[in-house]
Amino acid sequence: MDACVDRTLRITTPSDFEFAMTRQFDAPRRFVFDAMTKPEYVVRWLGCEQLTMPVCEIDLRVGGAYRFVFRSSDAVEHILTGTYREVVRPERLAFGETFAMPGFTSDEYLVTSTFVEEGGTTTLTTTIRHPTKEARDGHLNSGIDKGVEPAYDRLAEIVAEMG
Amino acid sequence: MPLDPLSSTFAALADPTRRAILARLALGETSVMELAKPFDMSLPAISKHLKVLEHAGLISRGREAQWRPCRIAPASFKQVDGWLGNFRRFWDESFNRLDGLLEEMKAEEAAKAPPRSNRKVRVKKEKQRGRMRG
Repeated sequence: MDACVDRTLRITTPSDFEFAMTRQFDAPRRFVFDAMTKPEYVVRWLGCEQLTMPVCEIDLRVGGAYRFVFRSSDAVEHILTGTYREVVRPERLAFGETFAMPGFTSDEYLVTSTFVEEGGTTTLTTTIRHPTKEARDGHLNSGIDKGVEPAYDRLAEIVAEMG
Repeated sequence: MPLDPLSSTFAALADPTRRAILARLALGETSVMELAKPFDMSLPAISKHLKVLEHAGLISRGREAQWRPCRIAPASFKQVDGWLGNFRRFWDESFNRLDGLLEEMKAEEAAKAPPRSNRKVRVKKEKQRGRMRG
């Protein structure tokens, strides 16, 4: 039924300051948009097995803030906070975001998501723009995707083989 | 600068020269002289990069020989690799769960809105029939 839905997470670098994540979903874009912007939905999917999400607050309007707190099993908190800059349901969402964990707070980066629907399939493209190329490369070199920084990834593989 | 260990590791990795040095060291330990050869850089400049890499725990320098061989520190790489695996997993896991939630949202809406004789619903029905046939 969804032979044409590509569920692969793809990462590209559209410019020196940006990288982009693309993913398709077998649903109309209004559902994808709501799932990403209503706390009762967000808590049900955002995160991973090892993390709980004790705080999920969203004030969905331009200038409104959100705050997501993830807690690991050893009680370390990873906090995403941001302010919405564009809220155009169901096609576009933009916010400035900061990531914080004990001993580290990132600079603010701009996240823009577009929701394109075709034949019941939604393509979500999220572009993350850092203030400098260095910050982007730092984010990318942190290995968000295995294909983005081939030199580094090859190195990690070689080292892994070395044991 | 107060950086957590992973941040200083990533800061060290953000420089292309340092990544090239690591790529060379991945092939085996070597001396600073050897490391400097492919780069159009002075020995002190290379030494500076090595200090950053050493501080980040990405390489270690032997004390046993006078030429202090440089070698890669696999433990630190494993930590980085584990972290990147986590990040990728974070989004993969999240989006996979989102797939499930979207199915629920579609089913809920379908249950709420009984089929009416508008075009959209007809198209949906045709699709469903197509699915059943297929």
